[in-house]
Amino acid sequence: MRSLMPVLKRWFRPSLGGRLLLTQLMMLVMLWTMLVTASFYAAYNDDYLLATDPVLDLILSVSDNLADAPVRQKQSLAAIDRKLRLEYGDGADESRFAPIFFVRQNGELIYQSSPQLPPGRDRQLEVIEKVNVDGATWRMRTRRSEQTGTEVSFAIPTLTGVLITFNSRGYYLLPLLISLPFLAFPAWWSIRLALRPWRRLSDEISMRGSDDLSPLGFKASHSELKPFVTSINTLLARVHNSALRERSLIADAAHELRTPLAAMRVNVEALRQQTADPRQRQLMDSLLRSNHRATRMVQQLLQLMRSEAAADGGGTQVMRIDSMVQDRLAEQDTLAAARSVELELEIEASATPMLIHAEPEGMASLVDNLVDNAIKYSPPGGIVTVQVQVVQAQVVLSVSDAGPGIAPEMRERVFNRFFRAPDQVQSGSGLGLSIVQNVVTRHGGTISLHASARGGLLCRVTLNLATQPAAVSAALASGRA
Amino acid sequence: MKLLLVEDDLDMGNGVRIALADQHLDVVWVRRLNDAMQALDNGLFDMVILDLGLPDGPGLDLLLNQRRKRLHLPVLILSARDGLQDRLQGLDAGADDYLVKPFALEELLSRVRALARRSYGFDGEILELRGLAMHESTRRISVDGRNVELSRCEYDLLALLIKRVDRVVTRRMLEEQVLPGGAENGSNALEVHVSNLRRKIGPGFIRTVRGIGYVVDAKLNEVGGH
Repeated sequence: MRSLMPVLKRWFRPSLGGRLLLTQLMMLVMLWTMLVTASFYAAYNDDYLLATDPVLDLILSVSDNLADAPVRQKQSLAAIDRKLRLEYGDGADESRFAPIFFVRQNGELIYQSSPQLPPGRDRQLEVIEKVNVDGATWRMRTRRSEQTGTEVSFAIPTLTGVLITFNSRGYYLLPLLISLPFLAFPAWWSIRLALRPWRRLSDEISMRGSDDLSPLGFKASHSELKPFVTSINTLLARVHNSALRERSLIADAAHELRTPLAAMRVNVEALRQQTADPRQRQLMDSLLRSNHRATRMVQQLLQLMRSEAAADGGGTQVMRIDSMVQDRLAEQDTLAAARSVELELEIEASATPMLIHAEPEGMASLVDNLVDNAIKYSPPGGIVTVQVQVVQAQVVLSVSDAGPGIAPEMRERVFNRFFRAPDQVQSGSGLGLSIVQNVVTRHGGTISLHASARGGLLCRVTLNLATQPAAVSAALASGRA
Repeated sequence: MKLLLVEDDLDMGNGVRIALADQHLDVVWVRRLNDAMQALDNGLFDMVILDLGLPDGPGLDLLLNQRRKRLHLPVLILSARDGLQDRLQGLDAGADDYLVKPFALEELLSRVRALARRSYGFDGEILELRGLAMHESTRRISVDGRNVELSRCEYDLLALLIKRVDRVVTRRMLEEQVLPGGAENGSNALEVHVSNLRRKIGPGFIRTVRGIGYVVDAKLNEVGGH
């Protein structure tokens, strides 16, 4: 039962296709009912069978012409009876639906098609009269031949009887019930076919990522879908533009801030060279530290904006992560040496080349931020270890330090922008890890924070290895050159 | 040594000019691309420090102009543009180095010194560093006046490190440029060469950055200075 519920739920979930199907079928049933009603009404109003003279004439003439041969007469009348039953009833002997007739010749009953209706004594000629027998009503018409005096009474059950038959046998309903599934399938199929553009549109919308702001690729030529697609595209374009504007505003501002910050720094450093007074140097050092903080913030804002811009379709390429990490660490050594922190890189030998699909700027900022953080929080003389290894079809990059680490309960929150762990001695913008996370997510990887073996922070990034053989061999070839 | 500084920002240019002058360098500072072109045509300079975004044209034009004339004047680009694309563009156009603003003064000075060494090296001059002298033209090395015999590989290795003083040269780069077999052999050939080199010139010059590469520091006691 429990397993049936979801199936039922799925079946009865509201859908436009289902709605269409239902209304179509309802329409069909309604038309059918109207048709049946109309035909019954017509049958009630003109008893065309009773009004047809040829049937009565046929019976009369057969009775008269074969009066001298009673056996053949009876056979012929029975044949006509069978024909009538077949034509108007359902062929059965005891049918309550079949017409009945009696033939009297010279005052004697010579033929009675069914004992259901006893031949009455008082009959009116050429009048449709009602006869009640056992609660059933019959309508009867009698004709007498002027020459021979032979009488034929022809009777059919009234509409009530017909209706009872109708209900008990489903004479009219049955075909409808049988044909409904056969009608429903083509209807369902045609609805599916007709709604295909709609489905394609909804598929496209559901397939795209939440960050994808490019216009819909679906070209709607249908008048129902066109305004819909157009307004979605307009909305997407507006969102895209405003995101672009916001991003370029921040990027421009950050970029413009760089030159004055650089000028400030150069001037203070030049000034610092000229003086040997320790008190002045101390003041200048704190000026430089503030300058450094502002610079870093500006730098990371730029990185973040770039990384978000790259998410809108930056060019990825196949690259060797091991040599990229080596290059970035070589660049970072100046900072590490200035803080007397030692950098070390361990690249685990692996059979597969460490190739990933990545966008180089993003990857560089990922490594830079992780290593920069590790250096910053390392004690003097500490070691920052970077490991690159292949685990199954993934490459794992881990950066560990001997710094204070991050308490487990803080580990989720440090990815938030501008979040800084409390009791922080080091200066920082609080953007670094959020940039890293942004890049990792964009490349379909994962990032997790742990405690390192030396009591500091261990940051582990997992990325998928590139799999396309063509791209891989191309990258290998260009790497050699 | 005569330096041409091309920088349009007043405070920035002035700061760099004074800082370089403090290092006893002869600095001519211009703020326009045209002025820079003229200065280069008229005077003899040993090096150019070039900003890219100038009010009357892109700084790269000056570089391309110089390279067209087949002048191999060392050029150090100083730019606020830090994108990978910008750096590559600058280096492809023939710049010898690319420094992103903001930078540490120490970094600028170190790179200027490295460039100066390189340019003098091409002229067959002697590169000197903490008692170690390198004669580019004769490919000879001496430590404290004593000649040291080096193999071809060892000399190339040391020369590469000294020219890029204070900056880590990655293992991959060393393997590709110095080892005869290239980076492919994946053995410890590089370590062997470095340890031989250390044995010959003394242990204090080449610092290992484990897994990453090697570096020759300009000042030995710089580490731990803060």
